[in-house]
Parts: sequence; structure tokens; C-alpha cells
Amino acid sequence: MAENHPDTELIPYLRGELSPDERARVRTHLEGCAQCRESAEESSAIVSNLARVVDDVREPDWADYQRELKRKLRAAQAGNAGVRGRWRWRRADVRLPVFGWPSMAMATAAVAVLAIAIVMHRGSGGSVQAPGVDQLELQQELSSADVGLLANYHVVEHLDLLENYDVIEHLDELEPGDRQNHETPS
Amino acid sequence: MVEPSDEELCRRIAERDADAFELMVDRHQGRAYRLASSILGNEADARDVSQDAFIRLYESAGRFDGRSRFSTWFYRILVNLCIDHHRRNRWWRRLAPLASPGGGDDPDERAFDPPSGEAGPEGEAMLKQSVSRLRPALEKLSPQQRAAVLLQTQEGFTSREIGEVLKCSEATARVHVHRGIAQLRKLMGND
Repeated sequence: MAENHPDTELIPYLRGELSPDERARVRTHLEGCAQCRESAEESSAIVSNLARVVDDVREPDWADYQRELKRKLRAAQAGNAGVRGRWRWRRADVRLPVFGWPSMAMATAAVAVLAIAIVMHRGSGGSVQAPGVDQLELQQELSSADVGLLANYHVVEHLDLLENYDVIEHLDELEPGDRQNHETPS
Repeated sequence: MVEPSDEELCRRIAERDADAFELMVDRHQGRAYRLASSILGNEADARDVSQDAFIRLYESAGRFDGRSRFSTWFYRILVNLCIDHHRRNRWWRRLAPLASPGGGDDPDERAFDPPSGEAGPEGEAMLKQSVSRLRPALEKLSPQQRAAVLLQTQEGFTSREIGEVLKCSEATARVHVHRGIAQLRKLMGND
């Protein structure tokens, strides 16, 4: 009967790994079972040849192997230290696309829709609307005090802002179009 | 001067003793590389994986509790890395046959290597041919069977130790070895 053959015990038997009782039982079986004897002999040959396969492995240049190993070890250590520091950042970074980017995209889309709606709303009026109160005040300020600054723009465009801060500060005191007084500020 | 035991070296490595690590690598690099090469059937992969095993050893030396032999603990790391590597590269291996260690990639070509003369020309040639047929047959075993068979033949591990490495019972380790050898016999017989 197949289940009585000590198949899994043949190699341990050959290697002397079995307890005395097990060993005696397998030995007795082998004496009466040609099939298992043949199996044990073939297995023994295979094991012997396997050792030869392993012995045939071509060895590397060990000095080179160790240099490479040290380099890898340093890299692994640096990587581990970096990973510990980066991990939280990475988690946050990873979460952004998952939770942050959709929100940001939705917000951007909402702003875009709002902007388009405003532009379309203004455009749909057909006529130029009257300026609001704020806009009027701004226009008044420009037309009074700052017109002088704008009129002397040709002075500003030739100045070094840091070195001629005084000139800029008193620019509104210049007469409009006064080119002579600004060329060499002292 | 008495050489420190593996267990002692491991303790010193846990304390980041670079000399101990160097000595440990010196001591185990050949066996680790050969075992990885035999399991993976590829020298470049064996180099990478065995180096990874030493890096894991350096990083986790403090976790070695001394309940098993150091070699059992270390080869568990190595074999697991080999099996993981094999799994990761399974799809690629179907496309690119494994390079055979120790020479050209064609087993038939190596079968006609000139004999060394030590065992007589005919005997040596037959042995080489048998070994060259065994190598590709070995590649056909499952990674667990291959590791079990090689741990037994190369490292002389007992079934109990193989079980510790593969995280299975002693009986299961015996089954792995038996099935591995039986499969090799079958493959060699069919060639």
C-alpha cells in the first residue's frame, strides 16, 4: 500500500536525521521493498549531484561584492533616515491629490463660472453704465493731485529708484514737463 | 585567538559594530551567494538578493533572539528574499529563460565541456552532463521545494531547521524535500 511507504523519511534516513526508532522502522521497510530501495538510491544520486550544481556556481569578485554591499548599506541607511523624515510630508502630499485636488479643482471651477457669469452679466447690458461712487472718487483723486506725477513720468522712467528716492518723493513739486531739473539730482 | 560565534557577531552588529558586520559578511557571503544563485538561477539576482539579505541582517540584528541558530535565522531572511524576488519576477521569467550559473546559458553546450580528467574522461563527462541536466530541472521546482532541497544539500540543514526557515512544520519540510527530489528524479528520467 502506497501510504505505508516511508517516502518523506527516505532523505532524512539517508542523512542520519531520524531517531533510532524511526531509523529502525525505515531500515526494515527498505529491506523488504525494492521500490523504496530504488527510490532511495536515485534520491541519493540526485542529492549528490545537487551538491555539484551548487559547487559549480561561479563566485563573484568578493572585494567588489563587499564594496557594492557597503555602498548599498549606506544608501539604505540614508534612505531610511530620509524616509522617516519624509514620511509625514509624503502622507500629506499623497493626501492632497486624494482629498485636496478635487476640492481645489471644484473651487477653481466655481470661480471660473462666477467670473464668466459676471462678464456675461456686464456684457448683456448693451450700454455703458454710469460709474459708481468709488470709481468717481478715484477719478477725482487722479485728476487733481496725481496728474502731476503722471505728467512727469519721463522723469521717473530715467531714475534709479533707490538712489533718487528724494526726487521721487518730491516729484509732484516739479513743473509738468520740467526736464532740466531732474537730470542731475543732488 | 578564538573566532567569535555568529551569535556574538550578530549581537555586536546590533550595536552597529562595523568590524563585526564585515567579519559576518566575510564568513557567510559565499554560502549566501551560492544558495541565492541556486534558488534564483541567476548570478546578478543572486548578488543583489544576497546583498539585500546582509543589509536586512544589519538592520534587524537586534531582533535576533538567539532561540534558533543564527544561520537558520539569517537563511530565513535570505530564502524569503529569494522567494519574494522569484514571485516579483515570475512574469519576466516566462519570457526570459534563466541564465545558468557558471558558464553559458545553453545547458546542451555545457554538456560538452571538456572533462577535467579527475574522474576519468567518460565518468567526468557523464557527471557534467547529469549536472547540466539537473540545473534546468531544479528551475522547475517551486521556490519552496527548491529552497528546501538546497538548504538540505548545500547547508546540511535538518528538516526541523528547514521548517524554521520556511516557517512550516518539520513534517511539511520533509514533504517539500521529498516532492522536490521526486520531481527532479521525474524530470531527469523524462529527459
